Amino acid sequence: MLKDNFNLAYKNIRERMSRSILTLLGIAIGIMAIISLMGLGEGMNQAVTGELSSLSDTIIVSVGQGLDIGSIFSGGGLDETNGEYLTERDIADVKRIQGIKKVSTQLSGGGILRYNSLDVAASLTGMDVNVMHISYGIEDLESGSLLEIGDQNKCLIGYSVAHEYFDSDIAVGSRIKINGEKNVVNGIFSQYGTGGIGSTDDLVLITSRDFKKITGQSNITSATIQVYDVTNVESIADEIEQVINENHGEDDFVSATTMSSILESIQNIIGIMQMMLVAIASIALVVASIGIMNTMLTSVMERTREIGIMKAIGATNKDVMLIFIIEGMLLSIVGGIFGILLGVFGSQGITGLLTAGPMAGGGGGMSLTPIISIGSIGLAVGVSLVVGVLSSLYPAWKAARMSPIEAVRYE
Amino acid sequence: MNTDVIITKNISKTYGTGDIKVHALRHTNINIKRGDYIAIIGPSGSGKSTFMNLIGCLDKPSSGKLFIDGTDVSQLNENQLATIRREKIGFIFQKYNLIPTLNALENVSLSTSFAGVKNKDRLKRAEKLLGMVDLSKRMLHKPSEMSGGEQQRVAIARALSNDPSIILADEPTGNVDTKSGNRIMGILEDINNKGETVIIVTHDPNIAKRAKRILKIQDGVVSEENA
Repeated sequence: MLKDNFNLAYKNIRERMSRSILTLLGIAIGIMAIISLMGLGEGMNQAVTGELSSLSDTIIVSVGQGLDIGSIFSGGGLDETNGEYLTERDIADVKRIQGIKKVSTQLSGGGILRYNSLDVAASLTGMDVNVMHISYGIEDLESGSLLEIGDQNKCLIGYSVAHEYFDSDIAVGSRIKINGEKNVVNGIFSQYGTGGIGSTDDLVLITSRDFKKITGQSNITSATIQVYDVTNVESIADEIEQVINENHGEDDFVSATTMSSILESIQNIIGIMQMMLVAIASIALVVASIGIMNTMLTSVMERTREIGIMKAIGATNKDVMLIFIIEGMLLSIVGGIFGILLGVFGSQGITGLLTAGPMAGGGGGMSLTPIISIGSIGLAVGVSLVVGVLSSLYPAWKAARMSPIEAVRYE
Repeated sequence: MNTDVIITKNISKTYGTGDIKVHALRHTNINIKRGDYIAIIGPSGSGKSTFMNLIGCLDKPSSGKLFIDGTDVSQLNENQLATIRREKIGFIFQKYNLIPTLNALENVSLSTSFAGVKNKDRLKRAEKLLGMVDLSKRMLHKPSEMSGGEQQRVAIARALSNDPSIILADEPTGNVDTKSGNRIMGILEDINNKGETVIIVTHDPNIAKRAKRILKIQDGVVSEENA
């Protein structure tokens, strides 16, 4: 029975080949849009998650409102603290909290750079080497390399520092003086370009030890804390805020931000974006399902006689409905399968466009690979099934209601 | 069991409502015995097709009772009527009315597919029936690839596929040449000789004469005509 229905549906679809292909194309485009946009969204999600989840045991403590997303990877933006700093006592108190594995501080303050007998004022940032490695990668540098543990009197400088502050460019290996102390330039950051909070262009980065030695200060702007157990990270962050705020007698002197909370908000944003993309893609699908309905209605009209014959020889209303629903379903499933294939390739194409186009600018360095999950393919198949059934319900119902007398009417 | 395969008790069919009622069939009482061979004649508009639609269970009488093979069908709903048609009635139409997208074998096995018969059994039966109407070699051809006579023979095989109680043929020779017409009548008479009830609706007096019994319909009134 079912096999016959499929056979009948297949033959009818073939009989009206060009019309069927056009209908099918509509569904294919709708599904393609959904598949590729979902894949893109998922790719985006995973790219971000991948970068951040390795840092899930990390808490960043900073003075003021806390971190915004842009500054996580830079560190350079953390020095706008209105002259308020964490104290050594804060750090000592934090170290006493249970479950904390390591506390690394980031220091900042002003300094004088000298190169080729020219003095320029600059802001200095001191970081523990391991924090440096969390914050930056070799891909952020245009030349040279990051500092290693044990390095002394070595610095990393920003693009502007290297190429704009002085008469002549500074190269890796050059010697500059920071507050009179000799330093070797170990690496130079690539141009950050757009400026803003995370910019590395004006950065002069040295180790925390060198910072204290050079400036004689320990102005701690932020601390990077690692915990032993990732599951405790949120409660430890709360505790840290409490301890430091108590020290300073303010309610929101400091904020402790975990990677997972940042991750969560990023994922929320991506989720909303993804939903919007899918909603837009759904419009194409709605249009396509109207197309199926239209095709099926025309088909019902054309086959009035055939429907009458089938009813005359014993097809019940249910049988007739099933015939048309299966036909609609077959159309949209085949369309859906084409859509999935198109979507898989289409999303690669969109990625290609994005990475080659204007959005690829800046120093993001995050590679976007669309991820087509089994789930989204399953969803696409499900959606096309539902669309097929829904959009052929009305035509099928119309067909089922036709009178068998049509078939035996005298001419 | 009653030997009458069709019993009509005072059935009437009226179309339309209010002032413009059309009485297509009036108070008809007819019994048709199992194994009978009947011709229904009458001019166009006489109520012939109405009568045929009623005994073919395509339509319901406005009043009266109609028994097909012992079942009162006048009160059945659409789906129950479809089941009666499927089980009790084999239709043969003037214009063959085969499904154009299906080949002969699929056409013949279609109604048994609605009955839910197993694929293998259906095809076997369809092959046998097509053999009976001498179309074994044309089984995989579509209607458009066959002559009128051949298509009508496929239609006969289809009508027989559910092993019905009544074969109802509406102008079965109306669209074919004389030679094919004779052949078709021969097949129908063979079927009748094997005990099947055959009812033929026709304009053609020569065809009607071959039947055992002739019913004449005029202005919605059915009367017996002595052959």
